[in-house]
Amino acid sequence: MTSETVSTGPSQGAGAPGPEPKVGVFLCHCGINIAGVINMDKLEAYAKTLPNVVKVVQYKFMCSDIGQNLIKDDIKNGVVNRVVVAACSPRMHEPTFRKVLKAADMNQFLFEQANIREHNSWVHMNQQDKALEIAQDHVRIAVAKASNLEPLDVMTVKVKPEALVIGAGVAGINVAKDLANQNFKTYLVEKSLTIGGHMAQLDKTFPTMDCSACIITPEMAAVGQHPNIQIISNAEVTDISGYVGNFHVTINKKPHYVDQDKCNSCGGCVDICPVITENEFDEGMKERKAIYIPFPQAIPNKYTIDIDHCIQCGLCKSVCEPHAIDFDDKPKKIELDVGTIIAATGYDAYDPTKYSPYGFGRFENVITGLQMERELSSFGPTMGKPVRPSDGKAPHSIAFLQCVGSRNCQPGMHAYCSRVCCMYAMKQARQYKEKHPEADIYVLYMDIRAFGKGYEEFYEIAAREYGITFIRGRASEIYENPANKNVIIRSEDTLLKRPVELEVEMVVLSVGIEPRADIQNLSRMIGVAQTADGFLMEAHPKLRPVDTLSDGIFVAGAVQGPKDIPDAVAQAKGAASAAASLMARGEVEIEPYFSVINQAACSRCLSCIDLCPYGAIGFDKLGDKVTINEAQCKGCGTCAAACPCGAISQNHFRERQIFAMIDTAIVANGR
Amino acid sequence: MSIKRETIKKISHEIVDQVVEDELLERFKSCYGCGTCSGGCPSGRRTAMRTREIIRQAIVGLTDELLTSDLLWLCSTCYTCYERCPRDVPTTDIIIKLRNIAAHKGFLRGPHIAVCKFLINTGHGVPLDHEKNPNWMNLRKSLKLAPIPPTVHSFPEALKEVQTIIKELKFDELIGYGEEVQKEMAKKDKEMAPKKIQVLEEQLKKLKSEVEKK
Repeated sequence: MTSETVSTGPSQGAGAPGPEPKVGVFLCHCGINIAGVINMDKLEAYAKTLPNVVKVVQYKFMCSDIGQNLIKDDIKNGVVNRVVVAACSPRMHEPTFRKVLKAADMNQFLFEQANIREHNSWVHMNQQDKALEIAQDHVRIAVAKASNLEPLDVMTVKVKPEALVIGAGVAGINVAKDLANQNFKTYLVEKSLTIGGHMAQLDKTFPTMDCSACIITPEMAAVGQHPNIQIISNAEVTDISGYVGNFHVTINKKPHYVDQDKCNSCGGCVDICPVITENEFDEGMKERKAIYIPFPQAIPNKYTIDIDHCIQCGLCKSVCEPHAIDFDDKPKKIELDVGTIIAATGYDAYDPTKYSPYGFGRFENVITGLQMERELSSFGPTMGKPVRPSDGKAPHSIAFLQCVGSRNCQPGMHAYCSRVCCMYAMKQARQYKEKHPEADIYVLYMDIRAFGKGYEEFYEIAAREYGITFIRGRASEIYENPANKNVIIRSEDTLLKRPVELEVEMVVLSVGIEPRADIQNLSRMIGVAQTADGFLMEAHPKLRPVDTLSDGIFVAGAVQGPKDIPDAVAQAKGAASAAASLMARGEVEIEPYFSVINQAACSRCLSCIDLCPYGAIGFDKLGDKVTINEAQCKGCGTCAAACPCGAISQNHFRERQIFAMIDTAIVANGR
Repeated sequence: MSIKRETIKKISHEIVDQVVEDELLERFKSCYGCGTCSGGCPSGRRTAMRTREIIRQAIVGLTDELLTSDLLWLCSTCYTCYERCPRDVPTTDIIIKLRNIAAHKGFLRGPHIAVCKFLINTGHGVPLDHEKNPNWMNLRKSLKLAPIPPTVHSFPEALKEVQTIIKELKFDELIGYGEEVQKEMAKKDKEMAPKKIQVLEEQLKKLKSEVEKK
């Protein structure tokens, strides 16, 4: 199917109403969810009085096998030719009931669902009489629409068996690996120089205490060598167009200034480079040269010049034997066509400079959890021996402050729990205790959230075996002892109802997880909305956690919400499976809710083309006509509403159907 | 009621470390402060006994406050909390251990010292007191039992043994009731006896008059 294919209307009964509508109304009790609030007998009696209604049935669970058969039988026996189900949200069970119609050999679009649960019984459970009135409105409006419905045909489009994974952290890597192992060509795009994401920065992982690098680096290498995976690092996706199965992706690959094919990673350039700057990978706790690899196990393991800090002295060029240095390197535009897209861009750590009471940036001996992680890492800035920044000595006492940036409704903070901080703080505390058994370690917490497999046990051992002192209370403020740069924390032991004022040698802020700073761009580009917390929204929080409302686009890992490694990997594998099932089938059905143009009425003003948010409308100069790509059209209705000639209408939401609903909503208020 | 509240400025592990030296009490630090112990404490229903608070005070090292407090002695050692603790903390045994530590530091309640004195003097924590109250002896006689049961009371040589053990263990010194103190106390008791009787009689009179009024 291409954009040349133009539909002029529904395939059957175009424009004309079908046979005389015989509407069957099926009222669902949803156990007591609906029937506990709304008087179903009265609703049934009311529905029977509505025009075109030939039959009203009520049942405990209309979505159950028995309930479905009630509908099926009435269709097969020719009793009804339009179906209204008054039940839950169509987002829950519209697909279920459409299947029922299909199974009964009826066009599945001759169906309308009245949402009397989410929109009624659940929100009006204390006003039962009024809830009944609203239910009557819902049913009456749904019957009006159903009476005017037209049969529509489902379309199918081909799905290209190639995938794009945006972000190559532990989630992205696992998506790519799973897809590639199923023989789907996978492009793994990573913004930074190396794949591996935050996990590569971590030293050990809770609760098993196995080494993070030992887990992630073999994965990174496997992905790097996989014949079906193409890593595009140091690159950003700049544009995505198209639709499910047929996305067109534009990628900007930033210049490395080192020919990645010629560079043999000898490292000669590093020794001679005179520029020293902060290493982002070590959270600014260690230096690197202007020509560098982020860390020894980076993949791809090739050098890059940080052109913002490079003074272009040319020394590296003079020593580079393979002549790989190229100061004239330019950004490259890469264009790809893929069938599915998986967003796995991960998270940013909360920046505690935004929270002044904790003095991060002002007090030398206040560091973040990620900085502590680098200090604990054997290839980190202190070679795995944490020290406090003011004097480079191992602190005798450390306090971990929990919920920094999380569980806080103040502006700039996050109302949600970041889910990983309790565990990583306890893990770091334990690691430090292993190295310094005499040290006093405090964790100031509000609640310890140790929810995962083996996590609570980890917590218990931290308290009992490691002797870490847990103080239930959030730090209110901290200040510095100018004499020795120690940090003094003011809090409360809420279990004893007693103020606490503790002087420790170092403080670690257990900073939370927040959406990537540029997540709005991604959200706009892939057409996936953000939830109130800023993360990307899944299609359904329980039943479709890896899908999005944009067909063919999936989410994995912390891009969808704070997650620890096991959860991120689980979601990655789920997303890979969901994407694979689309690509393996090779084609996908799309909703026929697209807009259609009446060419005779169209004046070629072209105003719809600019308005369409999905780029689905084009102008065919040769044929002198405006065309709509049905697969790309998401059925938002913007063009239909805006068309000055009234030449555009939208399937399933035609003027006649909408006005029938409005008429009955406002006119027939005389119950 | 005090309007002051002490701030915790130093967290000491001294007392916890001392308690967990006993392997059976090793789970002390597992306490997560849920309050199941205090919630089901029969003593806590009527008294200021707060088991969770005791455990917490020990964990943060409020040693002096804990060891001198009356709270520690309000536990009846019924073991309800011990059975219910979700973290398997041997609460009751910890309280007993904390009492031992308190006793060694000289923090004992008067009534406990009194009981210990009975033990030293008679071999019984709750002696028979038959000189003052012969009624139960008559009851025993009517049942054709020996007037005094065959306990330490009937065997003066056994009392000597008890006292030897107590001295060997320096228990008398622990409760501040060494030989000299003992003598002095006995003297004081004798002097105070008439006064005590007077006070008791006055109290009795008062009660009687109240009852009559009602």
